[in-house]
Amino acid sequence: MLESKSDKIFSLVVYIILSIFGLSIIMPFLNLLATSLSDQVAVSNGSVSFWPKNFTWSAYQFVIQNNQFWNGLKTTVFVTLVGTTLALMVTTLAAYPLSLPKFKARKFFLVIFIIVMLFNGGLIPTYLLINQLGLRNNRWALILPSLISTYNMLLVKNYFETLPEALYESAKIDGATEFQIFIKITLPLSLPTLATVALFYAVGFWNAYVNGMLYISTPSKMPLQTYLQTLLNMAYIPAHELSPEVAESLSTESIRAATIFSATIPILVLYPFLQKYFVKGLVLGSDK
Amino acid sequence: MKKKPNKLLKHFKQYGALYFFLIPGLILVAIFNYAPMAGIVIAFKNYDIFAGRTPVESIIKSEWVGFAHFKTLFSNSDFTRAFRNTLIISTYKIVFLFPIPIILAIMITDIKALWYKKVIQTILYLPHFLSWIVVTALFLQILGPYGVINNWLKNLNIIEQSIAFFGNNDIFRGLVVISAGWKEVGWNAIIYIAAITGINPQLYEAAKIDGASKMQQVIYITIPSIANTIIMLFILRIGAILDAGFDQIFNMYSYVVYDKGDILSTLVYRSGIGDQNYSFATAVGLFNSVVALVMVLGGNYLSRKIFKKGLW
Repeated sequence: MLESKSDKIFSLVVYIILSIFGLSIIMPFLNLLATSLSDQVAVSNGSVSFWPKNFTWSAYQFVIQNNQFWNGLKTTVFVTLVGTTLALMVTTLAAYPLSLPKFKARKFFLVIFIIVMLFNGGLIPTYLLINQLGLRNNRWALILPSLISTYNMLLVKNYFETLPEALYESAKIDGATEFQIFIKITLPLSLPTLATVALFYAVGFWNAYVNGMLYISTPSKMPLQTYLQTLLNMAYIPAHELSPEVAESLSTESIRAATIFSATIPILVLYPFLQKYFVKGLVLGSDK
Repeated sequence: MKKKPNKLLKHFKQYGALYFFLIPGLILVAIFNYAPMAGIVIAFKNYDIFAGRTPVESIIKSEWVGFAHFKTLFSNSDFTRAFRNTLIISTYKIVFLFPIPIILAIMITDIKALWYKKVIQTILYLPHFLSWIVVTALFLQILGPYGVINNWLKNLNIIEQSIAFFGNNDIFRGLVVISAGWKEVGWNAIIYIAAITGINPQLYEAAKIDGASKMQQVIYITIPSIANTIIMLFILRIGAILDAGFDQIFNMYSYVVYDKGDILSTLVYRSGIGDQNYSFATAVGLFNSVVALVMVLGGNYLSRKIFKKGLW
């Protein structure tokens, strides 16, 4: 069917607006990248826009030699890997019984988890609790409190509920235990949803900074985002670890930009590959 | 007397294994979510860190003051300012940002070229996965005194001196709304895209045969078909009005813009962790959580009543 003139204009406007939207998201990244690759003169006279001026790698040399950055990265990678793995285990384990209609106690336990989503003790009581437990300055303080999110658990539970009951019945007849059914049938059939929830947890752990600010005082254990947070408020970043010539040619803006960009690379690289899963998983899980 | 234990025994024999599945989750929730709820008592005490050797001992030994902290809440100018700012910033966010994902979803689903559709979705969802620290850094960079925006405005002779976007009480709320939109509108479009994709394509075919233009199709088919989704999300969004965005404000604000930017959750952080005014901070936090709870429950009740579908 031929498109009418007004429809062509409609489509054109759509393309233009979406492209502007898309550019408005990409441009700040280009600006940050350009700033991180320009020398001090260009940055401080404001002539850097979306392409590096007086190109230099020295800001990245600073990042590579910066112990604080590597320590932060180490903590964050540890917290993200261990946290996401444990969180997936706890979340799917809890979601499984709550997804079975035959499990009569499910309503009661569901309420226990939902209350947590709606109401919490607040910042100060949680802060005092972590101190009471002796978790101060311990990396587990960055993991344990975030291992189960009711929202993610409900997403998984809703998806589990869509699996055909007949599968379970036949496994039961073959003498499979609940745990075997869970491992061999439920989990393999739920990969898109599991990938989605894993991504949510991983991004959550990667981006978390408040707990690091509250509970970690030793710089070597500080997570990356908490370190970045301190950079935001810093007017001047000490570059004493570098040779004087390099330090002199660097602006605080470039160092900050290079550090922020380096810390974001893992997300920028992994995210496009995971995108197809999470859109599917999110829609499947919430459509109930 | 005899029947009941038998029934229970049978229940556990059949479903006992399922309880084990729940144990790790329940333990975590008990420690990290329910235990802090008991800690709320310090809002009704004058918490003194030095009253005991451990926080729990200090809580027990601190003196009761009843509702004293709550009675002074509304005469405390920091609190009333933060409460007002919370409501205003949230309302701005709802008014300006709630409709955008709907429009975005309509536009995205209209696109025929698959590659473009994929690329634009990838780009639009991306900022959701960045921390507010990274987003703040991006905005600090382009809006800084020597940043791109100030340079453009200067070159166009609109301004003579750089605008301090982050340190201006007249601009701060606008900055908060725009940066929140930048980060989340794409992501929030996902649910509408799913709803639009679910519309029966025959409706559009029939409309096309009748000569309806795309604009007419949007107005008479798309929007009515997703109206329920829109209204439901709107109700739930209103329910979350007391959440003005701690992570965002905390990273973007400074004492210069407390007047227009300080919200309840940032006040809790500053007075509690900063000034160690634990009891006052807990009281502010409790006020926030209780009102938020009522709002969310109300929103969910409405949503269930109208659409037979709520948050849970």
